[in-house]
Formats: sequence, structure tokens, C-alpha cells
Amino acid sequence: MTIGRRRLLGLGLGALGAAALAGCAPPGANPVNAEPTIPAAGPGEKITLTYWAWLKDLQKVADIWNARNPNVQVQAVFSLGGSNGGYQKMYSALAAGGGPDLAQVELRSVPEFMLVGGLVDLARYGAKQYRSRYDEAAWDQVTFNGGVFAIPQDTGPMAWYYQPEVLAKVGGQPPTTWDEWAALAQQLHQQDPTVYLEVFSVADASPFMAYAAQAGGKWFTPTENGWLVNLTDDATLATARFFDKAIDGGYVQTGYDPYSPGWTAAAGNGQIAALTGASWGDALVETIGTGKGKWRVAPMPKWPTGSGSTALGGSSTAILANSRHPQEALDFAVWLTTSPEAIDALIKYCGIGWSPSRDYIGAQRQQPSEFFSGQNYNTDIFVPAAKQQPKDWHWGPITQRTLNALSDNFRRKITAGQSLVDSLHLTQKTTVDTMRQIGLTVLEAK
Amino acid sequence: MTTRNSGWAVVVTGLLTIVAIYFLVPVYWVVVAATKSSGDLFTTPGFWFGRTMRLWHNVAEVFTASDGIYLRWLLNSVIYAGVGALVATYLAAAGGYAIAKYDFPGRDLVFGTVLGGVLVPSTATALPLFLLFSKLGLTNTYWGVLLPAMVSPFGFYLCRIYAQATVDDSVLESGRLDGAGELRIFHSLVLRGMAPALVTVFLFQLVGIWNNFLLPLIMLADDKLYPITLGLNAWRSQVDRSPQFYELTIGGLLVSVIPLAVAMIFLQRYWRGGLTDGSVKG
Amino acid sequence: MTTTLERTAVRTNAPQRHRRKLLGAPWILLAPFLALFALTVLVPVILAVVQSFTHINRAGLFGEQGVTGGFAGFANYVEALTDSNFLGAIGRVLLFGVVQVPVMTVFATALALLLESASARWPAFFRAAYFLPYGIPGVIATILWSFLYVPGLSPIIDVGRLVGLDIDFLGPNSVLWSIANIVTWTYTGYNMLVIVAQLKSIPSEIYEAAKVDGASPLRIAASIQLPLIRPALILSVVFSIIGTLQLFVEPLVLRTVAPAIVTEYTPNLSAYNNAFAYNDYGVASAEAVIIAIAAFVLSFGFLAWTNRRGRS
Repeated sequence: MTIGRRRLLGLGLGALGAAALAGCAPPGANPVNAEPTIPAAGPGEKITLTYWAWLKDLQKVADIWNARNPNVQVQAVFSLGGSNGGYQKMYSALAAGGGPDLAQVELRSVPEFMLVGGLVDLARYGAKQYRSRYDEAAWDQVTFNGGVFAIPQDTGPMAWYYQPEVLAKVGGQPPTTWDEWAALAQQLHQQDPTVYLEVFSVADASPFMAYAAQAGGKWFTPTENGWLVNLTDDATLATARFFDKAIDGGYVQTGYDPYSPGWTAAAGNGQIAALTGASWGDALVETIGTGKGKWRVAPMPKWPTGSGSTALGGSSTAILANSRHPQEALDFAVWLTTSPEAIDALIKYCGIGWSPSRDYIGAQRQQPSEFFSGQNYNTDIFVPAAKQQPKDWHWGPITQRTLNALSDNFRRKITAGQSLVDSLHLTQKTTVDTMRQIGLTVLEAK
Repeated sequence: MTTRNSGWAVVVTGLLTIVAIYFLVPVYWVVVAATKSSGDLFTTPGFWFGRTMRLWHNVAEVFTASDGIYLRWLLNSVIYAGVGALVATYLAAAGGYAIAKYDFPGRDLVFGTVLGGVLVPSTATALPLFLLFSKLGLTNTYWGVLLPAMVSPFGFYLCRIYAQATVDDSVLESGRLDGAGELRIFHSLVLRGMAPALVTVFLFQLVGIWNNFLLPLIMLADDKLYPITLGLNAWRSQVDRSPQFYELTIGGLLVSVIPLAVAMIFLQRYWRGGLTDGSVKG
Repeated sequence: MTTTLERTAVRTNAPQRHRRKLLGAPWILLAPFLALFALTVLVPVILAVVQSFTHINRAGLFGEQGVTGGFAGFANYVEALTDSNFLGAIGRVLLFGVVQVPVMTVFATALALLLESASARWPAFFRAAYFLPYGIPGVIATILWSFLYVPGLSPIIDVGRLVGLDIDFLGPNSVLWSIANIVTWTYTGYNMLVIVAQLKSIPSEIYEAAKVDGASPLRIAASIQLPLIRPALILSVVFSIIGTLQLFVEPLVLRTVAPAIVTEYTPNLSAYNNAFAYNDYGVASAEAVIIAIAAFVLSFGFLAWTNRRGRS
């Protein structure tokens, strides 16, 4: 093996490496919103749009549109739930230059998709004219830098589900403040140690995040100079202290999560009295076999500051960057989320969450419910709750990672006694470090 | 095998039977479970049959779901694993033979590099392979999974060892004297002689390909291209949404597990000879 | 005779033609393999290494004002190695390996010895039963076992309750061993078969001599069979080490039913999530390189250790 050949090989490998470095366009460089807009399809041109979502039986809803729009056919493709693998597939499809026209993206994940340039700016296709049709808080969550990056599809206003009979054991009434809630929880648990007022999830930090938002916390604020990240503002820390006290005092159940098999069994036995849950929780509460007629809904407890209610969950219909028909996709998305027939079909076939449409909540939701003791809970409780959402709550660009880190830390409350307050400080540091590591500018509030 | 101590025989056979139960329990369960409806699955004891016998109904459901996508998945698995392993074996045989029986500059470097490739975990290469293939437009196509499947560094290593040990130089010489080209010699004389090693490499690569989940997971987005592993996983992940998927998943498991189990029973002798033939010595 | 002359003439020209052919031939034979190997192994490895040294800068809130790549030095590696989740994943996988690999190897060896002993009846049936799980792909095996682990569906849990045992297969302390069970179930038969093959190659004269010396079956196993199956055992352990470090499929599939499996449960899961859930390709590549190096080092280390022991 001569020296010459060895050097040649080295040069070759070096050249390959340089080509690799050059060829590896960093993700996020997708320039779709800098390029000219794609014109709408001509009359008589037939197109098919694909929509990746995890809503069950979405095709039945799409077929209503398909019947009326022979030139624009929508095909629903089942995708795994976002953080269960659905987003991974969407990201890899985007990176490969493909992907569907429409995708179900949770409201809290919209910024993450923007980080890879994966979403079309719909303001360039006239989305702003539809603003008045949508719930304000939801619309704010899809607007950034003056553009509109997704269409809200469903939200999750929260209220208080409870079993009056269980509360009656201590003569309790639905609490109007969280302090009353704590007092009721202690009373209930003292009277019967096998009974808890509610569960508190240490494996999933999303409910906690919702409560902090309700109290007025603002974790991520976009500013001109970068992101302001503060998971440790006063409202959030006060919320954390409140729940630290509850767990330490032993009057919340931390052994299982809401809606899990363990929870369903305990609630059915009257060992869980209530649940602070989103509107979509009604279907899950209804799976309690023995619960019919034993549940009612009340407004959720409030903090001394902040808003009357808050939101847990919520998705949007986003149009992904490699779509060739963004205009038609936008038309479909707006129809899907604001027209009465689509909303009714979504509720009937897909069991969708709360409608983001300002005017229409769905025909089925205007009826009283047998399960909930004849209460017309949607119109009486959730409609007002949807109007009392926290203002100026923004999702950050790495929400999933922040939540994962926070959940991991919360778990240590049970295994290592680490307080929720400390968990927040640790997660604050992790979040800021990670955002800087991926090249963003982060401002920290002192 | 002179005396058979019947006391020992009972003990040993008893132990072996208990172990056999452990290995066979899931197979037994899937057969029983595939006869039940989703309702029965949760309410009747798992190890015995339910109130109704719905085996044919469940199996028919499996084959007709989503316009027969299950058959498509099976076909895809056969393509990826079968075609991939076949081509991989051929290429490894050609390369291994070349390294073993020819002396040429650069030979050791090539062998060393390929050997290094044996120890590189496939998961380390999956991500950059995905990025590379997306630049080449190969993602979400059959080639995206087939091309990596056709490369077996370990097969290359095995073929080299085998060729070195069993291919006789004199046979090659007489072939050359007869005027045969090198490629003819390879195809007509060498390949046949290397048959046992080729079977080993083929089976090794076959199992490797169908066990590889990460590569098809990130390469393929269109479910018509899925192998059976991705397909069944997709069905499994929908059970919370729609209990009908329990029947589909379990039925799908049955249809795939039973033939595989039967195939393994008949193919096991190829592993008994296999890897240790003339390869690893002390 | 003209034929002799012709043959001599052919022979004098032939070596040159042959030498040229011989120089070209191996490359023709090698070319297709090398081309695919370069495309699917070499280039990706280089890409992974290069990407692990890159780092992204994003201007604006989302990079809408410009995204640029740059050289990051070892920053990605430092981040991977100081991430407590990644370190936890490495620790978990090491713990898994230290327990599962010896247990499975001992199990496979014991089964091989039992099957090959004189007292075993119906060895062919048992061999088939033990080997058949190997043909079932890991994903399918995991889905299968997941049904046997989920309370409500699992007959094993039901049977356990009958005898008063409350088994939780998917709890935070037990899910790792439930995964170990799936891996053991799938691969024991294969390892056993490899050992059986080696056992069968022991010439019967050795057994005869041992019998003459009056050795008991246990003595035969310890002094004759075990040492002679060493090469098969070593091969089996090396492959198991490499497999353990790459643990990915089983935790990924079980995640849907086991919330105890965090997003960074094994190093490979961590790399996958960093790449495809967080779009952080630099750190993902660094983690992949770390895993590859660890596999290298551990396999070589083990081989070197057994070589040294073999010589002593």
C-alpha cells in the first residue's frame, strides 16, 4: 500500500466530510414563508389534500366536505398522538421534503414546529379575515410575529367535576377558591382516610401548568430581543407551594393519574370525589360504569389573582410547509373549525374537544346530560369558562422538552422528597440552557 | 448412551417441560385470544376460551381491514427481508471471496474498514442515513429500506473466512487454465462450494432485517410501505381510541406468529451448523 | 507437436494477461458491496461524526431571521454527557446488561447441557419449542408480551391474584426487568442452539474416556463441556453486549402502556428523541457516536479479557 494511495484516501475522506458539512442544511432553514405564495388551484383542477390527525373517524367528517367540493377532496390519515410518535413522523416527513397538507398539531406544539420552519404563514393566504370567528385566547396562541401559523381546532376550558353524594358526607359544597378546595380536601380525607378529594399527577405536569397559567403565571413571553423565560414567577411559585402543602399534608392522591384504570375504579367506588378537568374530560368521566346520575359540574376553584378558568390541551389544524395547496387547505381548515355542520360532525364522530368557534358550541352540547344529573353543563359551565381564559399565555419553542423535564422533576417529589418549588427552579435552568443550546436568544427575568 | 437412569430422566424432562411452558405460553395465549371478541378479552380468563368462538371472523377482519393493508404489509416484509438478504448474501460472497483469494494492494485496508463496520450499531447510522437519503430523495420509498438491507459486513467477514478455508487454489487455477473468466469461476465454481456459509449469512441477514425497526420507522411515512412490524405497531397504538383494534392486533399477531413459529421449527437445523463452522476458534 | 508449442506460447503470454485480469477481478467482485457499504455505512458514520460537531444559531424568535450552522467543538458531547437523563439511560442499560446477559447465557447453557445429556427425552421437541421465539421479530414479541403485562388483559396477573400475588409488570421498578424478560424469551433459544452446535462437535471419545474414569454427569459438564464450548459462549456474549447497548425497540413499543418508561429510557431512545422529537440533530449525533464507541470498547474489552484468560 503506497503512501500515495493512503494520502489519496485521506483526501477523499476529507472531501467527503467537507461535502457532508456543507450539505447538512441545518433544520429550520425551510424557507417556505419567504418564497412567493402558491396560487390557488384553477377552476376544474382536481386536488387531494391529506390530513394527518389522531381524531378517530375523521374521514366521516371530511366526507361531508368532499361531497360538496368535488374538486378538493380531503383524505384523513390516522397518525399516532403527537407526543406518542405522531410529531416524530411529521418532523421526519418535513425533513424529507414531503409530508401531508394538513396536520393536527396541539396548540402547545405550534412554536416547536415553527422552530423547524414547518408551518405555512396563513396570514399570507388571508387567514386574518377569519379572526373574529375564533375564541380570542386560542387565536392568540397561533399568532406570532404578525403571522398566523395554525387554525385553532379545539380547546380545553377547565371546570370542576364532582360527586355531590361524596361531598355530602362532610356537608361540602363545590369550592369557589383554591383555599376552600384545600380545606374541603382535608375535611374529606380526615373523615375517611380512604377517600380523597382529587388526584394530583406527578407524572404529567400539564395540569399544574394550567393551574399556574390560571394564577397569572407567564412562562414564555416573546419579545423583540428574544424569549423571556420565567417558570419561577410569583404566581407559579405560589401555585407550587400550594400543591407542595397538599402533597405533604397527604390530602391529595398521587398514586395514579386522572382517567387511568386505577382512577376510574376509585372514582366509581366513591374514593375520589372530584376532578378539575377540561371539557373533553366529560367523555372519560362517563366511562365510570356506576357513575350515571352521580356527577355534576361546577366552575373550577379560583386563585386570588388571575383568571376564572384555564385550559388543558387543545389542538390546531396546521398547514405544513411542503403543502402544494395551502389556499385550499386553509379553506378546509376554516370550514372544519367554524361551520356548524362540521362542528356537529366532529363532536358526533370524533369526540372532539371544545369548539374554538366563538358562536357555536355544537348542537349536542346544548342538551342537558343524563349522566351529569340532568345538568346542561356545557352551556351553563363551560361556555362561561371558555370566556375566562388566561390572557397573554404563550407557549415556548421547546414546550415538550420543558414539560418532560418538569414531569421528571415532579416525579422526584414522591421518590426523593424534592419540592415542586425546587423542581421549577431546576426546570427553569434546564429550559434556558436548552434554548440557548439550540441557538435561541433567551432573556431571564431576575 | 449406555444406561438411562430413569430417575434423572424424570427430573430432567420435568425441568425441560416447565421451561417449554415458559417459551410457549405467549404463543398459546395468542391462539386463545384470537378466538375472542374484544369484550370477551377483558372479561373472560386469559388462558381459556371465551363465550363465543370468533376466530374466523377475527382473521377475516385482519385481512380485510383498510382494504387489505395487512397483506400488503406481509408482502413488504417479504420484500425487504427476502430480497434484501438475498442480495446481501450475494454481495458479501463476492466480496469475501475476493478478499480471501486475491492478493491486491489495499486488501487489508478494505477488510479492516469493513470489519469496523461490523461493530457499528445500526442505530448510530439510521439518523444520518435518513438525512442522506432525504437529500437523495430515497426516503419513503422501498429503496430507502432495501439499500441498507443489502449490506452485511458480518456476512462479508464470514464469507471471507469460509472462502479462505474451503476454496481450493488448485480448483481456481484449473478453471483459469481452461480459459474461464474470473467472474465465471466465481459463479460456477466458488458459489456452490460456499453454500453452507451462504445459508448462514442469508439467515443471519434475514433475521437482522426483519428485526430492524428503527430504520423503517424513520424512513417510511406511507403506511403502504410498512413492513409487518410497523403495521402491527400502528394498529396496537390505536387500541385506546377504538377497542376494535384489539381484535385486529391480536388477530394480526396470530397470523404472523404462527407461520414464523412453524418456519423456525423447520429451519432450526441451519443454525445448528452455522456460525461456529470453521469461524471462531478458541 | 504444434499443441505443445501452442501451449508454451499461450503460457508465456498468459501470465501477463492473467495478472492484469487478476488485478481487476477482485475490484469487480468487491465493487457492488463496497459501493453500498460506503453509501449506507461509511458515509452515514462520517456524517454522524461531522454533525456531532455542529451547532445551530437561530436569529429571531424561531430562526425566521436566519438559521446558520457552525462548528461547535465538543459542546454537543459535553451536553450529552452532562445530561442526567442520558447518563441515567446509560446506567440503566449497563445494569440491564450486567444482569440479563449472564442470566440468559447461564440459562442457555444449562438448557443446552440438559438437552444434550443422556437423560433428556424428546430433545427435538424441546429444542424446537425453545428456538421458535427467535423467529418472532422483537416488535411483535413486545406487542405480544405487552398484552400479557397489562392489567385487565393479562392472564398472568389474574393467576397471580388467585394465589394472592399482586404483580405489577409495568411499574417504575419492574418495567426494566419485564423488558429483560422479553429479550431473554426471544434470544435464549438461539444462544442455546449455538452452544448445542458446539457441544455436538465434541468427539465422543472424550465422553467415553470420562465414563471410563467414572466421572459423574456434573463433572463432565464442568470439566469437559464448559471449557470446550467457550468460543460459542464468547460469541454469544459479545453479540448480547452489542444488542443490550442498542436497546430501543422494546422500550419504544412498551411506552404506550408503561408510563414509567420515560422519553430517555435507553441511550438509543434518547438519541432518537433528540433527533425526531426535539429536532436537535447535533446532540442526537453525539449520543449515537457515544453509543457506538461504547459498543466498540465493551466488545473489544470483553474479547481481550477472555483472550487473556484463555492463555492463562
